[in-house]
Amino acid sequence: MNQVLALACKDWRISVDTPVVYVVAASFMLVAGFVFGSGLFLGGQAELRTFFGWLPLLWLFFLPALAMRALAEERRLGTFEVLATLPVSSGRVVIGKFLAVMWQVLLLLLLTLTYPFSLAVLSSVDVGQVLAAYTGALLLASAFASMCLFASSLTTNAVVAYIVGFILILGFVLLEKASALMSSALQTSLQLFNPIQYYELLLRGVARPEDPIFFLSFTVVFLTAANFQLERRRWL
Amino acid sequence: MIDARRLTRYFHRHAVVRDLSFSVQRGEVLGLLGPNGAGKSTTMRMLTGFLPPSSGSAMVAGIELDGDTVELRRRIGYLPENAPSYHELDVASHLRFIGRMHAMPPGKLSERMAEMADMCGVQHVMHRPIGELSKGFRQRVGLAACMLHDPECLIMDEPASGLDPNQMIEMRTLIRRLAENKAILISSHMLSEVEAGCDRVLIMDKGSQVAMGTVQELASQFRGAQTIYVSIKDGDHRAVLSKLSEIIPQVSINVEEGKGVANYTIRVQEADEKLDEAVFRAVVDSGAVMTDMRHERESLESVFKRLTSGGEE
Repeated sequence: MNQVLALACKDWRISVDTPVVYVVAASFMLVAGFVFGSGLFLGGQAELRTFFGWLPLLWLFFLPALAMRALAEERRLGTFEVLATLPVSSGRVVIGKFLAVMWQVLLLLLLTLTYPFSLAVLSSVDVGQVLAAYTGALLLASAFASMCLFASSLTTNAVVAYIVGFILILGFVLLEKASALMSSALQTSLQLFNPIQYYELLLRGVARPEDPIFFLSFTVVFLTAANFQLERRRWL
Repeated sequence: MIDARRLTRYFHRHAVVRDLSFSVQRGEVLGLLGPNGAGKSTTMRMLTGFLPPSSGSAMVAGIELDGDTVELRRRIGYLPENAPSYHELDVASHLRFIGRMHAMPPGKLSERMAEMADMCGVQHVMHRPIGELSKGFRQRVGLAACMLHDPECLIMDEPASGLDPNQMIEMRTLIRRLAENKAILISSHMLSEVEAGCDRVLIMDKGSQVAMGTVQELASQFRGAQTIYVSIKDGDHRAVLSKLSEIIPQVSINVEEGKGVANYTIRVQEADEKLDEAVFRAVVDSGAVMTDMRHERESLESVFKRLTSGGEE
């Protein structure tokens, strides 16, 4: 566990030393602030529903940016050879990388805590609902971050990793948007694997025991795929 | 400590390393020498567990390559080519990260960091980002990182790359000092570096071993023609000629005479360490006076060129 934390700390340290995380955080807050403000001032609704409703689209643009360098950059710069010859399994490397991305996600979500606090000044806020929404946002981010990490394991080019991560998330976003056009049987079976569907249920206050299991399983599947990809490259 | 047995590695059906066998004992430095693309780095990557061999096996620091590779990596120090490191981190953070990945206790880690920084001459750049350092310093940081956990085996891919001549001498001295209780495998395409710093040399070309031995063994085994130029005056030149032909039967001698001095060009096809002595004795025995004597011998560089692809050009 210490090695995983050491790796995550190293990545975190590198991310705060580079402008990427600041650019992403500033852009995220700008867009998120606009979404939140439009709900509040244009819609006249003192609630977080608009912001959390848009969050899958925000993750679509910002999560690939946070995860794109994680493995691609290590391989491009040759530091992956250093990492892979340290006494740590590639599985732990992937988990460390995932943790580092999730810390950045957490930072973004922490910055948005200003929204519920400012709403609390204007009106009463349902703390339970806010907590459920933030938990959902974090679980959705973990599912998407694992996909983006998998995308980063496929290439040595961070831009390509961004595009692949974007396309993977876009697939689920489009699936969610197109669900109304599908037959109910197809819709049910496809939505069974769509993390956005589970997230939206959480936003509606429907918390089921299988939801965290789904998000966890989804994350594990893509982290395993990223690990498999790293191992596979050694044999090529 | 390192025992490679018929290591072979294919990349897309192309053999990059083929049937390579060698061993390195504790206290020994083995140099892998070969032109670019000879398979040196691939060999090293296999020995560190980074790349699995397509066939063959190896035991490194008591661990088989197909065994517990995490434990294997704990026992070795590896410096990849160009010493890749995290440019955004400062030297101390980079070393601390490497130490933490080796699960070194904090006290021990700080102690070793100071020791390695001193040994590799990076103590005054410890708090500077690696990206701001020169290539030579980055190389030293890589070296400090790979020795941090005091491994039994050191595998270093072109450790002197990017170093200036003074730094190269320091690096050689350091490697020699480390070799007292470690097995060290280094690679290089610079003959002088290997000649000066290694106990034995393995010359590779196109993935295969073409020669192995000490520098002296390789020199005597592969050095070709040797030429000695001798100038003599006085004495009986014919006696010198007959004496030389008697001592060295396979000799070709060309004599140019003028102004009381005879210039001999003595050429043998296979280098012989005792040739100088024989020539000197023949001249002295004939009663002549030797005024000049110099050698021209095929260099190790040309031997290397002849053994590897360079000789085909």
